[in-house]
Amino acid sequence: MIELTNVSKTFSGQKILDDISLQIGTGEIVVILGESGTGKSVLLKHIIGLIKPDQGHIKIDGQDISRLSERKLLNVRKKIGFLFQEGALYDFMNCFDNIAFPLREHTRMKERVIKEKIQKILKLIDLQGVEDKLPSQLSGGMKKRVALARAIVLDSKILFCDEPTSGLDPIRSRDISDLIRNVSKELNCTTVITSHDIKNSFRVADRLILLGKGKIIADGNRSFFEQSNLPQVQEFIS
Amino acid sequence: MKSFFESMVNIVRGMGDALWFLCDILGHILCGRIRIGEVLKQVYEQGVQSVIIITLTSVASGMVLALQGYVAMSRFGAKEYISHLVALSLVRELSPVFTALVFSGKAGARITAELGTMNVNSQILATKTMGVDPVEYLVVPRFLGTIIALPVLTIISEIVGIAGGYLIGVYEANIPGAFYINQTIKAIRYVDFFSGFIKVAFFSFIISWVCCYQGYFTRGGSLGVGQYTTKAVAYSYIYIIISNTLLTKFILTFWG
Ligand SMILES: Nc1ncnc2c1ncn2[C@@H]1O[C@H](COP(=O)(O)OP(=O)(O)OP(=O)(O)O)[C@@H](O)[C@H]1O
Ligand SMILES: [Mg+2]
Repeated sequence: MIELTNVSKTFSGQKILDDISLQIGTGEIVVILGESGTGKSVLLKHIIGLIKPDQGHIKIDGQDISRLSERKLLNVRKKIGFLFQEGALYDFMNCFDNIAFPLREHTRMKERVIKEKIQKILKLIDLQGVEDKLPSQLSGGMKKRVALARAIVLDSKILFCDEPTSGLDPIRSRDISDLIRNVSKELNCTTVITSHDIKNSFRVADRLILLGKGKIIADGNRSFFEQSNLPQVQEFIS
Repeated sequence: MKSFFESMVNIVRGMGDALWFLCDILGHILCGRIRIGEVLKQVYEQGVQSVIIITLTSVASGMVLALQGYVAMSRFGAKEYISHLVALSLVRELSPVFTALVFSGKAGARITAELGTMNVNSQILATKTMGVDPVEYLVVPRFLGTIIALPVLTIISEIVGIAGGYLIGVYEANIPGAFYINQTIKAIRYVDFFSGFIKVAFFSFIISWVCCYQGYFTRGGSLGVGQYTTKAVAYSYIYIIISNTLLTKFILTFWG
């Protein structure tokens, strides 16, 4: 359960989030839509505590993220998988070590088990054979998929994906969207995704939220969006 | 006037941030949040990377010292004492300072560039989102790596420099080898060695602090990485040279 109440954030005089309140239930898959630069990434970073709100509270399972010390936050984040828009893989590690990093940090798994697990995940994201490559040797889309693998490797109950499909070809985008949905449903995982790819958002989401000018413009499921006659919504999905 | 005031405020704020960052690092070290494996990796990377260039600098300075010393000492008919000149200059002054300067240009720049790149590519944020403390995982090992590697390199530099002086002393000034070595050992007292060593300890602390700080707070993309790296090296140079002067006066006052 994720709960935002009256969250506001201003960056250098510009109000990016304006009094946003939002509840996301356990096991729900929510896609946050919005034009480039509306603050989707900023919103996600608030929910994981990388940015503190100017006003308002953010609660994950009842715990107020905006009040926690950095050290307590680290503990909360162990339960959360996070995919960065830019991937953010360690460029001094090969792909195997990158994906294995959370496992080695937070579990006592044996190397043999880790290896099996990573083979399985690489198969899921259709990237067998990249284990020994450095991130700099991969294409943008491949990096993104490796980063997704790193985000889901711990089987977290909460998953945040910042633009998981941007930079991927249409077929891969579809496959990755399906993968996220399957993984998330299998683990009953609360999932928040940002995107401006409307077709795949419909595919993956239980619920969609359209963000604009720091406010929530529309909030509902697929048919709500398709039937809505709000101009901003129509503009976005057409 | 206003911009002067603003820049003063910025300087004070920057110093506050840097101090806070240092306390954070030292806090981690005192609480034992040290990853030995990572530290060793850093010692290896920073140390090995600088060994060749430091050896080269040291041999050259040892030889030059001996050559110049030969000319100067011969005027007093005291060429036997070249060994004293070489050994004392190296151990008390030249090895610590040269090694620190060269090291900050190589390993220091590397630290800032690495941390800076990780910063602008969100890798430091990603570390946080994975529930790992970036100061513990990325900064402390680099900090301690410098603190350990630089003194070791300085000792290498002293030995190699004295060897360079020996070559000139024996083959150019025709001083007997055994005599040269004997005189060198006699020349260096504990106080000489330690006054050099205090300097090195101080320099390694400065370099690791400045370079980690600049890297960890790099902003502004790849352009920023370049700027902050240059800044880190420049600041390290300035602080090394200023603190060397003060430390020299300080040490001479108390130990002679
Ligand atoms: N750390 C920051 N400091 C200052 N301004 C910021 C910061 N992060 C984001 N912004 C500003 O907030 C706004 C929203 O940025 P954000 O990255 O959330 O957009 P986005 O909706 O994710 O866009 P995109 O779809 O392109 O990823 C931008 O105008 C950006 O300039
Ligand atoms: Mg974004």
